[in-house]
Amino acid sequence: MTDSQPPKLLDFIVDRTHAGIFVVNRNMELVLWNQFMEVHSGRKAQTLLGKNLFDEFPELPRKWLARKVENVFILKNFSFTSWEQRPYLFKFPHNRPVTGGVDCMRQNCTLMPVKTTAGEVEYVCFTLFDVTDTSIYQQQLKALTQELREVGNRDGLTQLFNRRYIEETLSKEFNRARRYAHPLTVILTDIDHFKQVNDTHGHLAGDEVLRIISRRLQNSLRDTDILGRYGGEEFLIVLPNTGTRGGKVLAERLRHAIESEPVAFGDTHLTINVSLGITELREDSREYEQLIGEADKALYQSKERGRNQATVFTAD
Amino acid sequence: MSVQPYNEDQTDALQEVANIAMGQAGDSLARILDNFVTLSVPRIRQIAVHELADTVTTMVGDEEEVSAVRQAFYNSLRGEAIVIFTQSGADELAELLGYDCELDTAIEQELLLEVGNLLVGAILNGISETLGTELGFSAPSLMAERAPLHQVLAPDQLSWEHALLVEVNFSVEKHRFKSHLLMFMTEETIETLRGILDEFMDDF
Amino acid sequence: MAIPLTVVDDSRISRKMVIRALPPGWDVEITQAENGEEALAAYRAGKADVMFLDLTMPVMDGYEVLEHLQKESLNTFVVVISADIQPEAQERVKKLGAMAFIKKPVKTENIVAVLEEYGLI
Repeated sequence: MTDSQPPKLLDFIVDRTHAGIFVVNRNMELVLWNQFMEVHSGRKAQTLLGKNLFDEFPELPRKWLARKVENVFILKNFSFTSWEQRPYLFKFPHNRPVTGGVDCMRQNCTLMPVKTTAGEVEYVCFTLFDVTDTSIYQQQLKALTQELREVGNRDGLTQLFNRRYIEETLSKEFNRARRYAHPLTVILTDIDHFKQVNDTHGHLAGDEVLRIISRRLQNSLRDTDILGRYGGEEFLIVLPNTGTRGGKVLAERLRHAIESEPVAFGDTHLTINVSLGITELREDSREYEQLIGEADKALYQSKERGRNQATVFTAD
Repeated sequence: MSVQPYNEDQTDALQEVANIAMGQAGDSLARILDNFVTLSVPRIRQIAVHELADTVTTMVGDEEEVSAVRQAFYNSLRGEAIVIFTQSGADELAELLGYDCELDTAIEQELLLEVGNLLVGAILNGISETLGTELGFSAPSLMAERAPLHQVLAPDQLSWEHALLVEVNFSVEKHRFKSHLLMFMTEETIETLRGILDEFMDDF
Repeated sequence: MAIPLTVVDDSRISRKMVIRALPPGWDVEITQAENGEEALAAYRAGKADVMFLDLTMPVMDGYEVLEHLQKESLNTFVVVISADIQPEAQERVKKLGAMAFIKKPVKTENIVAVLEEYGLI
């Protein structure tokens, strides 16, 4: 800025610009309060100038802000606040009354040292920007990203977790259980004679069976158990903090939940069974894939022994 | 793209300017924190960005997770500064800076931004003042929180070709706390600074 | 007769800055030292009736030089020149026997003030 600018023009711009501008001296007394600040605070400059900022606005976080201002005086350096950590300095209403979620104007602030020609800081100038829009977009973006991530983890047909996600989960739980020496059990389950359902009643019926079975499995689990669709008609269940004894009990519950009530679609009622294989983390378990392999062997034994049953893996 | 590294005299001059700046920064910080502050003599190195991760890893150690704050500066010198914090000592800093509430994520972030801004401002203002120029700063932003170092300094995270590494160890009496400052500058700025340093030396 | 003066700093530009800031007409014979060991050697060679001493240096830093001088009760007029201007740093070097403290960047008027205070010019 130069001296050749007409002072009235600069005053006008400072006063009318779409950002809050106010200035305090070392005693935190206001020496400038522009129109944006007047409009949003409902306080006229003439009633505020020469008054202490904290006396006039006791709701401000005094200790923190006073220190921040003091630092600008000492360090002769800019300072900033961001809505992401501190949503607002002044509780102003925002201009988007219809938008839910945000209760008042989100603000970014810059504190700028105003120096004398000798280089000493005489005032601190605040500029306050309304970033409510930005904050709303950011929140929507976050929610959307979360939703996308969620969709990416789901199997389209059954809405269970997909294979990638359930394997990731198992891998994490495997590492955690090993680190803290917690028990961990894995169940692999498969719908008996599913090929016949498809061949006899068509693929649409097969899909419906998958959906219904998925829902029943999900409803029979505890909150901490994690269920995913592992393959065509195969499901993987991860049971943190559970040994094979608990795993066997749960597997029986699942088996019974499927068997006890026929699956209905249209006029057709089908009795469906599942076979299950169970295994748990042992000291010699080196990687999570090993658990899946063991559960698969146990599942195979269940099938061999006539299906509609659960088998616990044994090492020999 | 080739940028001539600074010669011995230029590096020496910059080192000295940074040293003076650090002294002032230390004094200001001590007044703010009300504690004796030890600032190491900044070690200055000019390196290409692809060497950065390895160099900084050697300095900081790869064991730890770090947090990082970035802040742009502009005017006669243009570029970006990154301050890397090792995790230990964040809560002690909170106490020193007068935060008397529970440390939640937002407060911890605010604290990192605050101290990052403080260090960058103190050092860069010191340098520009000694060189007779003035700088402006944009708001600092959080670059990484508790992330492995190599991830923070992955070349695709950084859009700069050249970095001036200013290693600053900053410790506050009775509190251990370490930070490292990296300055990234445009090629133009590297040349501008070279000119200023030459002039600066001619004055003596 | 010229006063033997040793300027101790690891940075060449910094020594240059100090030498440039010496008051014009002050009759001195200047020796430069890059670290504490060189400074002590210069002293023993009779080249440091006055010593302008930086604090942070490799090999042997300024604090160590001061300790040496104090332990061996050596008699030289030490002015510490440092960028670390915290009051505690200043107190510490005064306790170690430094006569004065001048902050970097060194200005002629600051050197003059110290020299006048002790009647060296």
